[in-house]
Amino acid sequence: MVKLDEAKDSPRTGDYIIEDNKVRLHASRCPSCGAVFYPRRNNCSADATSPLEEIALSSGGTVYTFTVARQSTPEFKTPYVLAYVDFKEDVRVLLPFDADEPPVIGAAVEIVMAAGPRITDGGLVSIPHARLQR
Amino acid sequence: MEDIFVLGIGMTPFGKHPDSSAADLGAQAVNLALADAGLGGKEIEAAWVGHVFQGMAMGQRALYAAGLSGIPIDNVENACSSGSTAIWDATLALRAGAYDVVLALGVEHMTTAFRGALAPDPSDIEAQLGLTMPGIYAMRAQRYMVQYGVAPQDIAKIAVKNKRNAAMNPLSHFKKAVTLDEVMQGRLIADPLRLHECAPISDGAAAVVLVSKAKLKELGGTRAIKLAASALRSGRTEVGLVDMTVEDLTWRTAQAAYEQAGVGPGEIGFAEVHDCFSIAEALRVEGMGLVPHGEYVARVAKGEMDLDGILPVNGSGGLLGKGHPLGATGVAQVVEIVKQLRGEAGERQIANAKIGVAHCRGGKAQGVEGTACTVNILVA
Ligand SMILES: [Zn+2]
Repeated sequence: MVKLDEAKDSPRTGDYIIEDNKVRLHASRCPSCGAVFYPRRNNCSADATSPLEEIALSSGGTVYTFTVARQSTPEFKTPYVLAYVDFKEDVRVLLPFDADEPPVIGAAVEIVMAAGPRITDGGLVSIPHARLQR
Repeated sequence: MEDIFVLGIGMTPFGKHPDSSAADLGAQAVNLALADAGLGGKEIEAAWVGHVFQGMAMGQRALYAAGLSGIPIDNVENACSSGSTAIWDATLALRAGAYDVVLALGVEHMTTAFRGALAPDPSDIEAQLGLTMPGIYAMRAQRYMVQYGVAPQDIAKIAVKNKRNAAMNPLSHFKKAVTLDEVMQGRLIADPLRLHECAPISDGAAAVVLVSKAKLKELGGTRAIKLAASALRSGRTEVGLVDMTVEDLTWRTAQAAYEQAGVGPGEIGFAEVHDCFSIAEALRVEGMGLVPHGEYVARVAKGEMDLDGILPVNGSGGLLGKGHPLGATGVAQVVEIVKQLRGEAGERQIANAKIGVAHCRGGKAQGVEGTACTVNILVA
């Protein structure tokens, strides 16, 4: 695993690095029980261990499940696809899906930057998305 | 442990109440529960009031509207389990011997407090990414379909059953049965869940008067129903790649209730469960150990969960049919079970109702399986 420097961007939306156009999400791993958390945390929510190690997740995973949200809160542009993606680092992360068509469960995905689905200041902001592996 | 009894129940119609405030609805439920118990307001020693979106001191406003003031009033927020958590709090106070006559009220005026799809708290990253409550359950439904080989229309039969029951409940938000075709032609909210498979936005209130065994002896009420167990648990932190079709929170809460009541899942005669979405009913009933994992929708198709089936589920119409004013929901479930055990459920009466269970589970917070779950067991 890569040891990362303290990230500068907002911890609220989750941090990431971009290597060769591939997005790797920053996560935390508990040195005591091995639990992995995304977004990053200061302590382990299973056993309160602190501090945690920083790791970068793989730049892809598999679709655990998904849905097409057709009704949402007012700040989202519907419809949009959401998926829970399982990473080999043993953590499941919710990600918007960069496609109009939903994926199938078990599909291999890569993590990329794409716009949406949240409308911020009148526009869609680019954030990490999952898309079918190409 | 000293026995606790439900002496009085009260519930407003669930639905849209543009001309009543939350306090009005709460007061109405309280007055109905007091009249049903045959008690005056002065006999209530303390009250717990569950609500989610009603703002500061809703409990005081509702009880003042009912003419009760000065007693200890505790406002309780625990997501969709707020009302049933108020009941749990009340049982602790009775068991501690602090009081003999207490009130639990749940109230919510959703149509004024709320619009759009219900979502987790906006501070959660998942909410910022667009996760809504329908979205969470839709994703669990997608998994359920793949793991157990069922189709959307199999799950949709849960909505058909509950709306059929709701049509027989004069207090329901929806009073019209729907066919499977109608459910399947409904608008998709979050694939595969369609409009009829999502609980509506409802206003309403429900209240129960709980008494100690000693007080019941003194009053001599004959319609009292024993509250044999009241359990509350919170969701555990989710670590690793867990099975999202299995509800650890529901199972742990149910286990605690079974132990408290001294009954096993096999002895449960009927259930009111938290069917905020069609798929949720399957996850709850399986989670409580009443049906093996993956078998629920097939049992529904066979009619086993109908009012005349071997395990009637959501005979009231459930959240899908009766409505879901968040804070009121958990109390209304207990109200329904008391009606059934008294034999006062009218057209919905379940034959030989002896032991009923109410399951209420609420909310989603980042990193935990669920926020709060209650299981109450009542015995005739
Ligand atoms: Zn740990």
